[in-house]
Amino acid sequence: MEELIKELKANIIEVLNLEDMAPEDIENDAPLFGEGLGLDSIDALELIVMMEKEYGIKLKNPAEGKEIFKSINVMAQYVSEHRTK
Amino acid sequence: MHFVADNIISPLGNTTELNFKAVEAGRSALQHFAEDSVSTEPYVAAKFTEEQRQSLEIAELTRFEALAALSAKEAIGKAGIDVSAPNVVFILSTTKANIENLHSGDEPAEAFIPSVAAQHIANYLGVTTKPLVVCNACISGVAAIITAKRLVDGGRFDYAIVCGADVLSRFTVSGFQSLKALSADECRPFDIERNGLNLGEAAATIVFSSSTGEFSIEAGTIRNDAFHISSPSKNGEGAFLALKALDAEPYLEDIAFINAHGTATLFNDQMEAVAIERAGLTDIPVNGLKGYFGHTMGAAGILETIISKEALRHGLVLATRGFEETGTSAEINLSAVNRPVVKDRIIKMISGFGGGNAAILIRKESENALQSNGAEFFDSCLTTVHHVAIDSQSASLDGQHIVCQSCGRQMLVELYKRFIADYPKYYKMDPLCRLGLVASGLLLKEKDVEPQAIILFNHSSSSVADRRYWATVSAPDNSFPSPAHFVYTLPNIVTGEIAMRYGIHGETAFFILPDRDERFISDIVNSIFKDEGLNSAIVGWIDYSDDELYTADLLLLSKT
Repeated sequence: MEELIKELKANIIEVLNLEDMAPEDIENDAPLFGEGLGLDSIDALELIVMMEKEYGIKLKNPAEGKEIFKSINVMAQYVSEHRTK
Repeated sequence: MHFVADNIISPLGNTTELNFKAVEAGRSALQHFAEDSVSTEPYVAAKFTEEQRQSLEIAELTRFEALAALSAKEAIGKAGIDVSAPNVVFILSTTKANIENLHSGDEPAEAFIPSVAAQHIANYLGVTTKPLVVCNACISGVAAIITAKRLVDGGRFDYAIVCGADVLSRFTVSGFQSLKALSADECRPFDIERNGLNLGEAAATIVFSSSTGEFSIEAGTIRNDAFHISSPSKNGEGAFLALKALDAEPYLEDIAFINAHGTATLFNDQMEAVAIERAGLTDIPVNGLKGYFGHTMGAAGILETIISKEALRHGLVLATRGFEETGTSAEINLSAVNRPVVKDRIIKMISGFGGGNAAILIRKESENALQSNGAEFFDSCLTTVHHVAIDSQSASLDGQHIVCQSCGRQMLVELYKRFIADYPKYYKMDPLCRLGLVASGLLLKEKDVEPQAIILFNHSSSSVADRRYWATVSAPDNSFPSPAHFVYTLPNIVTGEIAMRYGIHGETAFFILPDRDERFISDIVNSIFKDEGLNSAIVGWIDYSDDELYTADLLLLSKT
């Protein structure tokens, strides 16, 4: 799980162009949206693309993202349970 | 400015009359399609059939250019004007022009730039003045009509041919899919069950004149949400401000209906309903036409203006196809059936990516009141408050050279860190927006004058972002269209980013020209400044061809 968390952080920084952030700047249980990293609705859609591209997880409804992208911990849990690649 | 003649070419027919009759009878161009060359999943759209496509070909033009040219040609023929005269301007409204040519990979780099397409169309029509492209995302069509009004009422031209068009391609369809904006069924504007839009292809043209006519454009306004580059403002701020600025209060009793944008996405329709309510227009009937034509992008504002004008002529509020039960928090006056009305004005409103919102007031002249505006064109007295010039090698503010350690793309990062620094969203932007943000940051450094509007011009459109997005779509066996990259393929997003950063709610406009024609640019800027409420604006040229070739030459202008 530790490895996956590290990888997720690196992927998020890359796909969302968070150029001035390092993986250790993202806390495992802090909210990704709203306060946290200040991500917006396009970022959420970009994360949906990342889930499919990197882990083979297809989210049909963008609203599902709301629960899954709550924090890095929640995301890692979901990915480890649902990944197909 | 008055209507002289018009045309619509859509899957429902090749003239205004055929299209209006189809809509009046409740016929829709929307159809279900299986996966094909434009979509990897089933979809609903308004598309030309193979037979229609063949009838819309012109040997020396691309599919997009031919569609626009044929629409313009029919309208010009009906108007009976000599388009080669120097008093005629051709204005093209489009979001992505020839972008489908990017698919083949063997087209010259310039081929998909909108101003190149506009020049091809102008040449075909025999127009000799320089063509102007209005590229303001979904509001382009109405923005183009407003631009024409200013240039014609101001006396710069006597005739304006305003033509809007877009075609469906993998580029556009994949982008809207990546934004999860498309409905798998026929769209349902303002309905409680609405779940997204359908795209459509069409061209529409209006020939306008300074002399008399049965219908005229009485007022036109553009305002920005300054909220988000792809989501509409929650309180409909930009649309509300645009409606208010129409100054339609004295005519409320005379307004037959409001033709809304009504894309049938959850957020757009909710936003429009809120804006209409805030503007005090709740009692006026509202309708939306996307259920007949889909969202025809660059054509939408012009096509829907023509159909609405015809409805006014026929004394009808057309039904909103797909609507059954109100699904917005604000109550608005919609109907699923045609309703009779005898009044003499209508409002067309529209909203789009980049936070832009536009509205126009259209009037049917009473028979004994036909008269021309005949206003004189004069240059407003404008002062340059600040001037920023940036290219890939150097930067200056008010003529003072800014010493940089780096050049090219890196130089913009350096300038961002030195002069802005507290706006990490910078890193998410495409290069054109980065350039615009840095240049406007320098321009507004002194905080002495607050700009109310942003008016930008270029040649290369959003070509860097176009290629970058297309790379995410076209990778063999690895196609994952990026929604963020797609949004930046609209060049006017740079105006939206600047508006958001500095809280500018006034007009935002993006124009594309064949070259940097200072005289034409100054005519357009002057015509915008004739708006009495406008006292200051960020104005200038901003072009990003690649990391080693870019220019921003921006002025902060103020009325004296």
